[in-house]
Amino acid sequence: MLTLIIGGASSGKSRYAESMVQTLPGKRIYLATMRPSDGESIARVAKHRVQREGKHFETIECYTNLTVCEVRQDDNVLLEDLANLLANELFSPEGKGVEAVNRGIEALQARCTHLTIVSNEVFSGGNVYEGETLHFLKDLAQCNRYIAQRADLVVEMVCGIPNILKRR
Amino acid sequence: MIFVTGPLFSGKKEYIRSALRMTEAEFERVAVWDVQLLAEGDLKSLADKLAEKEIVIATEIGGGVVPIDTEERTHREAAGRLACLLAERADTVIRVCCGLPQLLKGEWPCRSC
Repeated sequence: MLTLIIGGASSGKSRYAESMVQTLPGKRIYLATMRPSDGESIARVAKHRVQREGKHFETIECYTNLTVCEVRQDDNVLLEDLANLLANELFSPEGKGVEAVNRGIEALQARCTHLTIVSNEVFSGGNVYEGETLHFLKDLAQCNRYIAQRADLVVEMVCGIPNILKRR
Repeated sequence: MIFVTGPLFSGKKEYIRSALRMTEAEFERVAVWDVQLLAEGDLKSLADKLAEKEIVIATEIGGGVVPIDTEERTHREAAGRLACLLAERADTVIRVCCGLPQLLKGEWPCRSC
């Protein structure tokens, strides 16, 4: 089963995703995509680790190229989050661009039983952006739509409440 | 009139065009999009005029931080108000997110029925 959970900042995406993944069978893998690079990101990683405590996740860090990520057939994978993965593929030296994100997701989906992806709603603030930011938004929107199209379940989080956009 | 709204790059045009099985040329004749850019002056008259079209599409732009620039702020508010006026006039309102439609008002559009 492929699930996409999208929402704005602190809309309850992670909490909802984690509790949903707990209802699914298989070994729980937390696929972390954010490269801890400064104090703020290190603190964020720590906060999410505390939130996951006791929920029996094995954490795998994968910043680019999901095709080599080691998951197994029966695994129940929670990928968090898509915007960080895309940023790594676009802006880090080893990154391979937006297509690498979609190909990586496909490869991952083919290998594990359940894949739940957390993504970011950053598209309602107007198009007053330019250059790289606008490109990033376009690419992230493309990844979101690509995954949503393939997904069995798509949920938009609104102040902690799941709004079901698609259920197959 | 069908009013389609949703965030930037969410696939609003693609969705409604394929839902109504329209060719690109047909779509361009009956639809108007990016109407948030037109939001200024007499919004009621503008909404009335736009509502004569079969399909009206607007991008949601009110979700970010309130802009510091007065002009941007005024425009953003006008865009939000215009969207409300269009939704009032519409038979059908659909919000598209990640390419997925959600019905907010009326019935699902279907050309053949």
